[in-house]
Amino acid sequence: MPTFGSFALLLSLALCAYTLLAGIVALRQLATGAQGQISPERLAETARRSGIASFVATTAAAFALVWAAFNNDFSVAYILHHSNRALPGAYKFAALWSGQEGSLLLWAWLLSCYGFVLRLRHKVDVKLTAYASTILAGIQVFFLLLLNFAAPPFSLVGGAVPQDGFGLNPLLQYPEMVIHPPMLYLGYVGFAVPFAFALGALMMRYPGEKWIHITRRWTMITWLFLTCGIFLGAHWAYSVLGWGGYWGWDPVENASLMPWLTGTAFLHSVMMQEKRGMMKTWNVWLIFSTFMLAIFGTLLTRSGLVSSVHAFAQSSIGSWFWGFLIVVLSVCLFTFIMNRDHLKAENKLESLVSRESSFLFNNLVLLAACFTVLWGTLFPVLSEYVQGNKVTVSGPFYNRVAVPIGIFLLFLTGIGPLLAWRSASFKSIRKNFILPCIAWFVTAVVLISCGVHPWDIFTTNEQGSFYAFWAISIGAMVVTAISAEFLRGAGVIARHTGQNIFAAIVQLTRRNTRRYGGYIVHFGVVVIFIGISGQAFNRQVTQELDFKQSVSIGPYRVECASYSQDSNPNYDTEYALLDVYRGDKKVTQLAPEQRFYTASQQPQTMVANHSTLAWDLYVIYAGKNPDTGRPIIKIFLNPLVAWIWIGVGIIVFGTGVALFPNMTAAFAASRSRAAAPSTAIVQGGD
Amino acid sequence: MIVVACGLLLLVLLVYVFYPERHVEAQRQKTRLEYLHERKDVLYENLRDLNFEYRAGKFVQDDYAAQQADLENEAAEVMAEIELLEAQPTR
Repeated sequence: MPTFGSFALLLSLALCAYTLLAGIVALRQLATGAQGQISPERLAETARRSGIASFVATTAAAFALVWAAFNNDFSVAYILHHSNRALPGAYKFAALWSGQEGSLLLWAWLLSCYGFVLRLRHKVDVKLTAYASTILAGIQVFFLLLLNFAAPPFSLVGGAVPQDGFGLNPLLQYPEMVIHPPMLYLGYVGFAVPFAFALGALMMRYPGEKWIHITRRWTMITWLFLTCGIFLGAHWAYSVLGWGGYWGWDPVENASLMPWLTGTAFLHSVMMQEKRGMMKTWNVWLIFSTFMLAIFGTLLTRSGLVSSVHAFAQSSIGSWFWGFLIVVLSVCLFTFIMNRDHLKAENKLESLVSRESSFLFNNLVLLAACFTVLWGTLFPVLSEYVQGNKVTVSGPFYNRVAVPIGIFLLFLTGIGPLLAWRSASFKSIRKNFILPCIAWFVTAVVLISCGVHPWDIFTTNEQGSFYAFWAISIGAMVVTAISAEFLRGAGVIARHTGQNIFAAIVQLTRRNTRRYGGYIVHFGVVVIFIGISGQAFNRQVTQELDFKQSVSIGPYRVECASYSQDSNPNYDTEYALLDVYRGDKKVTQLAPEQRFYTASQQPQTMVANHSTLAWDLYVIYAGKNPDTGRPIIKIFLNPLVAWIWIGVGIIVFGTGVALFPNMTAAFAASRSRAAAPSTAIVQGGD
Repeated sequence: MIVVACGLLLLVLLVYVFYPERHVEAQRQKTRLEYLHERKDVLYENLRDLNFEYRAGKFVQDDYAAQQADLENEAAEVMAEIELLEAQPTR
């Protein structure tokens, strides 16, 4: 199987190289009108098919590696180092992305999947797709060169083949790790598609903005995958790393956040280009930057440039990625300089108080956040280079800079939809802002009366309450603004069709899924902010607990029912059984444990968590006191954490709605005619 | 066995890539007229949006009238150019 895998990878490289070269020749011939022995259209068709065939070859290679993992083929060095016989099946599958070479193969395979779909759907715009396919093939060639020559996943073990493997990193033996990396990679890799279309559209001086329409779904799906990947990672960190938090501003976490921030900015600002033909240069550079940041994130994880719990071992492939980034930047710069006159805006910003300016502010704030994260991530490297000693940037820096930026962004989320395109008069602003402002004021009063005092920041330097106050009160304002948008629109439909308000809301959403799906996403963002603001009120206690001893935290009393140890072929474990009481009522039993994995000889904490909408009771088994032999139990009471995961669910739902096609005008008209005789406005609708 | 599998994979993929296709999609440049039709659709959609938001009570009359006039002017310019291009004899 290793031979078959290596052959498939080599074949895939050859096919992608053909797609790239034949694509360039065909597009050149078409642009200049030159003719070769075969027509440029036929040549382009073989290039397209070769790209499709590369998907089959890369799939064959990925299959060969998974096959080797399931068949315990320890003659393959990668399998020897990332699997063992006792490893459960799901984690054997996850071994595909648990190491450098395998995860690069996953990158290449996902890229070939995206390429496969893009090339199959070429009829949407044959010429533009041919450009995008050729650019995508260039990216594929880079990853396949890496896999064939710098990080081959099918390298064989020298000498005698060991009977068992070294096992999978215990940190990765968690259900989320089966799904988190593929999600993240789907996000990273997916930005290659809008990047390829944007670069292709610029190269061919594509008239109009239809390329944005073509890539809209690609971008949204990619953004959704990256969002899910980031939050699954946060949930994994919360459940596995055992420090009571979900986001540590780790360089690799930051690496995934940066393309997400620019990708989010792109999703918003392209609407200005579609609607008003504005910000063309900005948008092109946003998607270029997003793709380059995705590559940069991959470089950070693999080069050993930064140290992180998530990073792969230090390797020489960093120089390959630097080289690739330089090539990508050069191509983007060259294409932009040659075609910059094509990106002239059709309209200008007419007023600072308009939907356009709110999008612009939103973009600037997102970019400021991205720059902050980039600066914080690279500062240790830069300080070492300049001063000779590494200055680490940790949570407090990001909390001081990124959190206020995030809250300002939340504020813009609320006001943007309330402003009109082009310009909004004071009368319109007053009309639309009254309700959200009242909601903000009422929430602020309620929070202050509940003891959340933002002015504490001036007396005790306590930032948590300050940020929580603003996040929750502005969140209330945004929710009111979103609700008003739904109710106003639904009111028009209800008046003209006689439907009840709920049916009207459904119909309104189906008529403009992108806009109202977007509002649902914004609602999810508010819920996440509220969940995060709970962090300001975290509590924790650490105590040694003997049999029947208990400790109280918040409304809970945690009593040690027993503690013991166990073992299976994969790991040995020590654990405590803890009864949790609220008042006199037992609400649950938790079993935090500490495992010791046999194959890798590494320990791992398994957190036990009782999650409710109000708070998480998060318990860690921190080992035994060597003097007394009693377990040391660390308990965190983390308010509102569940709302973060609920918010992500709302975002997934909202993006799903936005991806759904609008109800067609014809269908809407027939429904409206059946419902009411006079429906002109509703048909015109949104 | 492995050699046969590799050979088979190579053969199948090469046949797929180079098998002569009878009908090949033409790659043509989008015309100005097509672009203008796209632009017209976008402007109409913007007008529908504006109309709906006004009916929903989001804008005051003055804002609505000003924006409607701007959009209608832009649409009129696009329509005029479409008519001009459509009137020209096709080559």
